[in-house]
Amino acid sequence: MTILLMLVQIIVLFVLVMLHVAYATYFERKIIGHMQVRLGPMQVGWHGLLQPIADGIKSFFKEDIIPEQADRPTFMAAPIICLVAMMTSLAVLPFAKGWVLADINIGLLFIFAMSSLASYGVVLAGWASNSKFSFLGGLRSMAQVISYEIAMGLSLVGVMLMSGSLNLTQIVEAQGNSILGMYLLPQCIGFFVFFISMLAETNRVPFDLPEAETELVSGYCTEYSGMRYAIFFMAEYIGMMVMAAIGTVCFLGGWNGPFAVPFFPPLWFLLKIYLFMFIFIWIRATLPRYRYDQLMDLGWKLLIPLALVNIVVTACLKAMIG
Amino acid sequence: MQIQYKPKRGLLATIFQAEILQGMALTLKRLFSKPITRQYPEEKPQIRTGFRGQHALVRDPKTGKSKCVGCMRCAMVCPSRCIRIRSHKDKEPGSRRVIDDYQIESLRCVYCGYCEEVCPVNAIVLTEFYEYGSYDRRSLYFTMEQLLGNWDRFAAQLDRPVEEYVNPFWRPRGLPEQTLPAPKRLPVSPEWSGEQQVVGRKWRQHHGPEQS
Repeated sequence: MTILLMLVQIIVLFVLVMLHVAYATYFERKIIGHMQVRLGPMQVGWHGLLQPIADGIKSFFKEDIIPEQADRPTFMAAPIICLVAMMTSLAVLPFAKGWVLADINIGLLFIFAMSSLASYGVVLAGWASNSKFSFLGGLRSMAQVISYEIAMGLSLVGVMLMSGSLNLTQIVEAQGNSILGMYLLPQCIGFFVFFISMLAETNRVPFDLPEAETELVSGYCTEYSGMRYAIFFMAEYIGMMVMAAIGTVCFLGGWNGPFAVPFFPPLWFLLKIYLFMFIFIWIRATLPRYRYDQLMDLGWKLLIPLALVNIVVTACLKAMIG
Repeated sequence: MQIQYKPKRGLLATIFQAEILQGMALTLKRLFSKPITRQYPEEKPQIRTGFRGQHALVRDPKTGKSKCVGCMRCAMVCPSRCIRIRSHKDKEPGSRRVIDDYQIESLRCVYCGYCEEVCPVNAIVLTEFYEYGSYDRRSLYFTMEQLLGNWDRFAAQLDRPVEEYVNPFWRPRGLPEQTLPAPKRLPVSPEWSGEQQVVGRKWRQHHGPEQS
């Protein structure tokens, strides 16, 4: 019986996340359109509201082209690795008190592991396509993820020190009695480092070097088409959502809000996630892409030292006060 | 001259990345401004006189045929060489040149309007009609009959009599009246000749942005 209930929960979450991903693309296109004084999608449905569904149907029925020289099994597996890794990390996200599929004690670590695995899919896609653009995209993704994974892990150590736990639910609860009910102020350096490495981890502008359209056609997904390409996109948007959720849980106080919402406890959590998504899109509409050496400079020379300083300061303060 | 690529900035500006924040503020401001998109098939642009659209050969109301005299000036001036004229002249003296065929390959045309400017009898015109895309190349290769038909269709939807229609390109700009052949000494509004020409960006200042 519990297994059945669990299954139902999983399916509900899956469907909701898929819808969310579909409409995140719509949201992004609309906002970027308006920021560029355009209208964005307008034709399918009222103000283009059915556009994501039309896109989904189109990519589902499109021909699935696999290049002759590609490494077939790896080529076919790569998008699935990406998607599975990203979707697995949804299991540990606490949407509200008790609204979590798997309340495990190593939640944060689990999410790190999964987001690294997802970049493994990107690297494999770049390798298996057997094309120079994909290969360069894959290599860039590898280097980028290795450098920014460190900064991101270190930036969250401060949060772990303050809350004394890796369990996401407990992290949120520990924030309840700090300033504003969130770790944003005491961990502002950590948040800064986390935010930048979050952009880099999800391959978003200004760090979208793995799929830089202007240089690498489409980077690692150059050779992909139809549904496999769509799967990469889903993985990217779920990745954005997961990263936004970690940011919310670790720095913005999770589901805690100014007042409790009676019937829909995850409201504050969702609002904070959408705020993050909006900032993602906002940055995409504003900034150009970083050069590759600048990206590496930023990661190794600025973010990692900053994160280390943050850990030392947090640990000292914790030892003295707490 | 020394170009300063990296402007100096203070410590606070460096920490808070002032330039990035400025850019973000700009995009946020634009988010709430009115989009300038025109939803084209539903919302048509306002076409001004002098728009260079589909080609047509003017049908002379007296003879019912083309005004073309076969001087070949349009074919010579055409930068994309898309005009092809075949004509013959009978041997006996005093006979007029007869145009057998006048073809325009509109897919190659660059719509510069030189042909209508150079034509001494105002026979060719680029009408203000522009929606004539086709899935078939052959139908865009206009023959003389099609060009005359284009004129008839254009004349039918005009809101004033055909005789009064004057394409501004028929009177070349910036030339004194006496250097022009008689049919080209046409009354055109001062906007099109002389100093008060309203072209390009001046039009917007002249008539307000919604008409551009």
